[in-house]
Amino acid sequence: MQKVGIIGTGSIANVHLDSWRRMPGVELVGYYDLVPEAAARAAQRYGGRSFASLGALLAAVDVVDVCTPAATHKEIVLAAAAAGKAIICEKPLARHLADAREMVEACQRNDVMLFPAQVVRFFPMYRRVKERIDAGAIGRPAVYRSARCGAFPRPGAKFSAGHYADFAQSGGVALDVGVHDIDFARWCCGEIERVFARGLTFANRPYQDHAQIMLRFTSGAIGYIEASWAHPRGVFRTRVEVAGDGGLIEWDSLDRPPLMAELYDEASGLQRIASSPTAPEDEPYYAELAHFIDVIEGRAQPIVTAHDGLEAVRAALAAIESMRTGQSVALKDFGE
Amino acid sequence: MKEKTVRIGFLGVAHMHSVSYASNLLRMGGVEVVGMWDRSPSLAADWSRRVSIRRYDDAEQLLDAGLDAVVVCSENALHRPLVELAAGRVGAILCEKPIATTLADAQAILDRCAATGVRLQIAFPVRFAPSIVELKRRLDAGELGEIFAVSCTNHGSMPGGWFVDPELAGGGAVIDHTVHVIDLLRWFWRVEVTEVYAEVGYSLLHPGLGIDDAGLLSFMLSNGVYGSLDTSWSRPPSYPVWGDVKIEVIGERGVMYVDALHQYITVASNATGKTQWVSYGSDIDRGLMIDFVEMVRSDRAPSITGEDGLAALAVALAAYESAHSGQPVTLHR
Repeated sequence: MQKVGIIGTGSIANVHLDSWRRMPGVELVGYYDLVPEAAARAAQRYGGRSFASLGALLAAVDVVDVCTPAATHKEIVLAAAAAGKAIICEKPLARHLADAREMVEACQRNDVMLFPAQVVRFFPMYRRVKERIDAGAIGRPAVYRSARCGAFPRPGAKFSAGHYADFAQSGGVALDVGVHDIDFARWCCGEIERVFARGLTFANRPYQDHAQIMLRFTSGAIGYIEASWAHPRGVFRTRVEVAGDGGLIEWDSLDRPPLMAELYDEASGLQRIASSPTAPEDEPYYAELAHFIDVIEGRAQPIVTAHDGLEAVRAALAAIESMRTGQSVALKDFGE
Repeated sequence: MKEKTVRIGFLGVAHMHSVSYASNLLRMGGVEVVGMWDRSPSLAADWSRRVSIRRYDDAEQLLDAGLDAVVVCSENALHRPLVELAAGRVGAILCEKPIATTLADAQAILDRCAATGVRLQIAFPVRFAPSIVELKRRLDAGELGEIFAVSCTNHGSMPGGWFVDPELAGGGAVIDHTVHVIDLLRWFWRVEVTEVYAEVGYSLLHPGLGIDDAGLLSFMLSNGVYGSLDTSWSRPPSYPVWGDVKIEVIGERGVMYVDALHQYITVASNATGKTQWVSYGSDIDRGLMIDFVEMVRSDRAPSITGEDGLAALAVALAAYESAHSGQPVTLHR
C-alpha cells in the first residue's frame, strides 16, 4: 500500500484526485497547500487530512504528488527528496533550467524516483502514434507536427492573473503548454538540436499568448509545434502528425468522435454533444499515476524520466529565448 | 455581338497542370487552343494526343500561327527562355508557378514583358478556390478583428520527374510549395514577407532523392502577422489524397480554419488497393482560365502579376538561404 500525499490542491490536483481515489493499492493520506482552507476543502471532498506544513505531510507519506505551480516545484521536490519520498511532479518540471537540474541531482543523490507528469505520453491516441512509429509503420520519422490550442486559462481569475498571466511565474504558453508537445516530439523523434520560435509571449497582450516553434532534431528530422492560449473560449484543439520515409500518421481532435448526440428543445435550440470516452483505467491521468505506482513498486520501467522532463524544459526555454532574440537557439549551448 | 475568338497556344507542357488548363480552355466558348509545342517530342506527342490539341514541331511555327496568348507550362528553369520567345508576339502570357528558379531570371521575365508590352499573369490557381475566396471576404470584412498569426500547410506527394532535378526545378518541396500559400497571404493583406526562417530536409522523406523534400518555414509579414508553412512532400503513395492547402488564421475575435480543397467523397476500391478521397469541389483551374481569358479579351491588367510571382519566389529562395545559415533571413524589396 502506497501512502500518497498531494501538495497543492488546485485544478490539476483535482484531476489527479479523481484517479488516486479509485486506484487500488493506494491510500490517500492527505494534502498540503499554502492556502490551508484549500487543503481542508480537498480533505472534505476526497477524504484524508490536511497538513499544516510540508514537513508534516512528508513525515506521513511514501509518495508525493507535486501539483503546485512550476516556479514552486524546486523547493518542494528538494524537501521530498531529502525525506526519501518517491515523487511525481507536474509539468513543466521547473520554471528554470537550473532549478530542474538541481531537482534531478537531488533525487539522484537521495536515490528517489522523480517522475515528470508528461501526461501526453499517456493519452491513448498519442501512445498509439508512438507505438506505430516504434513498430516501423512509417519508417524513419522525418517531419513532426503537433498543436495544442485553447483559450487563456481562466482570464481574470485571481490565480490566473498571478500565475498564467505572469511570465516570471509560468513562462507563458511556450513553457506551460509547449512542454507537452516538445516532450512528445522528443519521444517520437529523439533529441532536439535547435529551435526557432515566434509568438505573442512578449507582445504585451494580457490574456493572450501563442507560440509557433520550429525544431531540428539531431537525427536530421524537422518539426513544428504550435501552442496557443489565443484561441476562442471553449475551443480546445489538439493534433499530431508524423511523416516518415515509409508513411504518415495523423490524428486531429476534430476527427469524428464515437458518440454524438443532437438534442432539440424549443428553449435552447439544437444542442450538439460529442464524446470520445475511454475505459476508466485508460483515462490518461489514471494511466499516468498507475504507471508511476507500477514503476516505484518495480512492475514497470518508466516510460518517461526526470531527464526527459528536464530536456523538455530546456527546449521550451530555448524557444522562449528564440522569441526574445529573433535567432535560432542551439540546445547544446543553451543554459538559460 | 459575337465576341472575338481568343487564340491560345501552349509553350511547354512538362508541368502536369497544363492538362487541366488545356481541358478547361477546350470547354470554354470563344477560345481556340491553336496548338502546342514542347521540347520533348515524346511528351509533346503523348500530351497532344491526350487532350486532342495540334502539335507543332517548332515553337516559332506555333507563334507564327497568330496567337493572342500563350500558356507556359514548361519545367521551371525554361520559363524564362519561353517567355522571352513569346514576348512581343502575343498580347498576354500565363506562366506556371514558380515564375523562375532564380531572381535574375524572374526579373528578366518581368523586364522583357514590360519592354514588349505583353501582359504577364502567374498561375496561382488557389486564389480561385471558393473556400479561399470566402476566407478573403471574411478577412476583408474584419470578422477576426486584429490578426495575430497564421499556421499553414501545403503538403504534397513527391512528384518525381523533373520536379526533383535541381537544374530544371530550381529546388524541391520548398520552391514547389512555398509560393502558393505565400501568394495567398500577400493577396489577403497586400503585404510582403519581411523575414523567413526555415528548416529544410534533403532526401529526408525519400532517401536518395537528392533534393529537398521537407520544409518548414517561419515568417514575418509587413503587417506584423507572423506565421508558419509546411511545404513537405510528406503524403506517401498510400495516403488517400495527393496533399492539401490549409490555412488557419488566429485573430483577436477567434480563429478561421480553411482546408481549401477538402471537399471529398471517400472511395474504397479493391482496384486501387486503398481508400481515396475524390474531390467534388469546384475546379480551381477553371477559375484561373476564365480569369485569364477575360483578361486577354479585355484591356485590364492581370489579376496576378509577374511581381506577385517574383515576390513569392523570393520567399522560397530566402527559405533555402535561411536553412543554409541556420538563422532568419531578412527580405529587402
